[in-house]
Amino acid sequence: MKGMHGIIFSYEKKTGLRELIEHRVHGSIPFAGDYRVVDFMLSNMVNAGITDVGVIMHGKCQSLLDHLGTGKSWDLSRRNGGLTLLPAFAYAENRDGAGQFRGKMEALGCVVDYLEHIRQDYVVLCDSDLVINLPLQDVLQSHMETGADITAVCTSALGDGSDTYFELDETGRVTDTIYNIHTPEGHRCLNIFVMSKALLLNLVEDCMAHNQYSFRRCVLQERGGELHINGWVWDGYAARINTIETYYQRSMEMLRPELRAELFDPSRPIFGKENDAPSSYIDPTGECVNSLIADGCDIRGTVRNCVLFRGVQVEPGADVEGCILLKGTVVKKGAIVRNVITDKYVTIRENSTLMGGENYPLVIARGTKV
Amino acid sequence: MKKECVAMLLAGGQGSRLYVLTGDMAKPAVPFGGKFRIIDFPLSNCTNSGIDTVGVLTQYRPLELNSYIGNDQPWELDRANGGVHILPPYQSATGASWYKGTANAIYQNIGFVDMYDPEYVAVLSGDHIYKMDYSDMLRCHKETGAACTISVMEVPWSEASRFGIMAVDEQDRITEFAEKPKEPKSNLASMGIYIFTWKKLRQYLIEDEANPDSANDFGKNIIPAMLSNGENMVAYRFEGYWKDVGTLDSLWDANMDMLMPGSGLNLLDKSWPIYGRTPVCPPTLIGPKADVGNSAVAKGCTIFGEVKNSVMSTGATVGKGATVSYSVVMPGAVIEDGATVAYAIVGENCHIGAGASVGAGPETVTNPNQWGITVLGPDTLVKPGEKVAPKTMLDKGHNREVKA
Repeated sequence: MKGMHGIIFSYEKKTGLRELIEHRVHGSIPFAGDYRVVDFMLSNMVNAGITDVGVIMHGKCQSLLDHLGTGKSWDLSRRNGGLTLLPAFAYAENRDGAGQFRGKMEALGCVVDYLEHIRQDYVVLCDSDLVINLPLQDVLQSHMETGADITAVCTSALGDGSDTYFELDETGRVTDTIYNIHTPEGHRCLNIFVMSKALLLNLVEDCMAHNQYSFRRCVLQERGGELHINGWVWDGYAARINTIETYYQRSMEMLRPELRAELFDPSRPIFGKENDAPSSYIDPTGECVNSLIADGCDIRGTVRNCVLFRGVQVEPGADVEGCILLKGTVVKKGAIVRNVITDKYVTIRENSTLMGGENYPLVIARGTKV
Repeated sequence: MKKECVAMLLAGGQGSRLYVLTGDMAKPAVPFGGKFRIIDFPLSNCTNSGIDTVGVLTQYRPLELNSYIGNDQPWELDRANGGVHILPPYQSATGASWYKGTANAIYQNIGFVDMYDPEYVAVLSGDHIYKMDYSDMLRCHKETGAACTISVMEVPWSEASRFGIMAVDEQDRITEFAEKPKEPKSNLASMGIYIFTWKKLRQYLIEDEANPDSANDFGKNIIPAMLSNGENMVAYRFEGYWKDVGTLDSLWDANMDMLMPGSGLNLLDKSWPIYGRTPVCPPTLIGPKADVGNSAVAKGCTIFGEVKNSVMSTGATVGKGATVSYSVVMPGAVIEDGATVAYAIVGENCHIGAGASVGAGPETVTNPNQWGITVLGPDTLVKPGEKVAPKTMLDKGHNREVKA
């Protein structure tokens, strides 16, 4: 069958996301007022005509399972194909990584039965911590035209040392893959890879036979010479959410109208989960400016430069600035809050003062009353 | 499979008193309160009351309504047994006819109701804004052993002559029904919400159909016929918010009520949720110089100007320096920089050019009779700088050629 199959990796990894990752894997981190990070890649896949998607997860995946459900919100609740949830507990005996997948190849090796039943000729692999609106069909088109074994999406916008970087030759072929470098250079890998199903199965079998678990080391680096790996450069918006600082910065970027318009391009809509919240009510005692507001909020205090998720209440006289308030946060009367990220259902008591730093926001764990 | 109670939702009316707003869509599909459409209220009431089988009787311009209801999933009415059924008029071996009246619409669908063999049938209107527990009304219907229970509410005596008025005895049994009486005998107004014992209603529908002089209407024919036959008919007193939004003024009023504490229509009420389709769009962006007060704002809006005492529906845009006050802005409408909108209903996907002015407050006219809400039908184009006077009504044919 022609077409592409989607595989999303969403398992526990060491990240700098602190309290936000306590109850969830990175795919289900709430972002931009109304989404989970995984919504972006899922929507990219759906918008590219992908009908079958597998999500490999492991660890604290309850919130992700709950979010994805049957896949109906993304039109992936299908009789044939659709969304397949691949939690790791069924495959535990295959792993020796002390409760964590050590890498993508190990994760794929655990679901090899699933991979064998993929109906499509091509597969796209991606992480779930990327906020991007990417025309994946163009990547597949380029993959078929160049005849590459693997097409890897990358960007010329540099990130930090923890990212992977490619050296590309003039034809776009990857000549070297490096990481853990002090000064980033080259093209930053966005961890989106397109290849044929046949090659994927070969690689998984070969890696499992040699106890190799890392896609980056064992495929991109060690097999980089024999495989034709092509870089597909995307210079649109792409944000990897891997630390509290990037989470905060990237969230605040959504207040820029041009970025919001690019990421939420109506011709390639980002689908989130449906909800039953009514419209928000806004009647601030001070002002409500430069903010992103989801449904069902009740805003009666002052709100500046904030991202408010669904059902947030800001009581009269409260003053909130530079904050990201997740679903169901309540800011009581007279509270003053600066540069704070509150997880779901946090209550900030009357007349209390909470201050974070602009480059080091304070994070309040889910359900806390402070 | 047998159901205790089936709801029949009358959604076929053109809503001619909503004029330009219902040029292309049925009244129940008209947006309400930012995120909802009018029909979300009766449908959500059904779900919240435990009624899982609803027939929606459509006739006038059903496209928008049909596509909105779709597979009934937002209201959790996507059932294997029951669920929402759209019931348009149909052709049969003996001919075809439109729904002649509200009673005829149910008569033509006796087959649908019989399929579920219910004890009771609730007949609801698709153009009322209210939150009501039909299961409580049904309990009252069963306890009193009534053939028909009619939901009523007390209205001010001064307004009673605008409604269908029920006179009742001390047990709230209906003794008399008068449509818009000059000298009302009571102040209990019918809300157009009925529960019938199906066997009785079925028989009256068949008799009514056989009468060539009948208008085939519940209020005009069925209810008077049942009363004159001495059937046990009971008034069920409803206390709470209810509004027939069949006119432009009442539609505007009901939207404004949502912004008024104490009106009884609480936007953020969680005890009796109203379900609707969740639009696919990002949260609302409120710009650095925006000024929003006492307003309901749905998802997907972009607000750079001033919005006061207004309802902003999904995906509406207000440009820099534009002001919107006491208005209902429907989904996707664009109000460009510097435009002014006051006391207006702005239909879906309208485009109001920069610096234009639409509507004005009652204080701006000398003769109060010349003042009224300004209404722009869906897709209306207002040119930059154009002035649209209060009480004006425009549709998509304004400023451009439109095929009929």
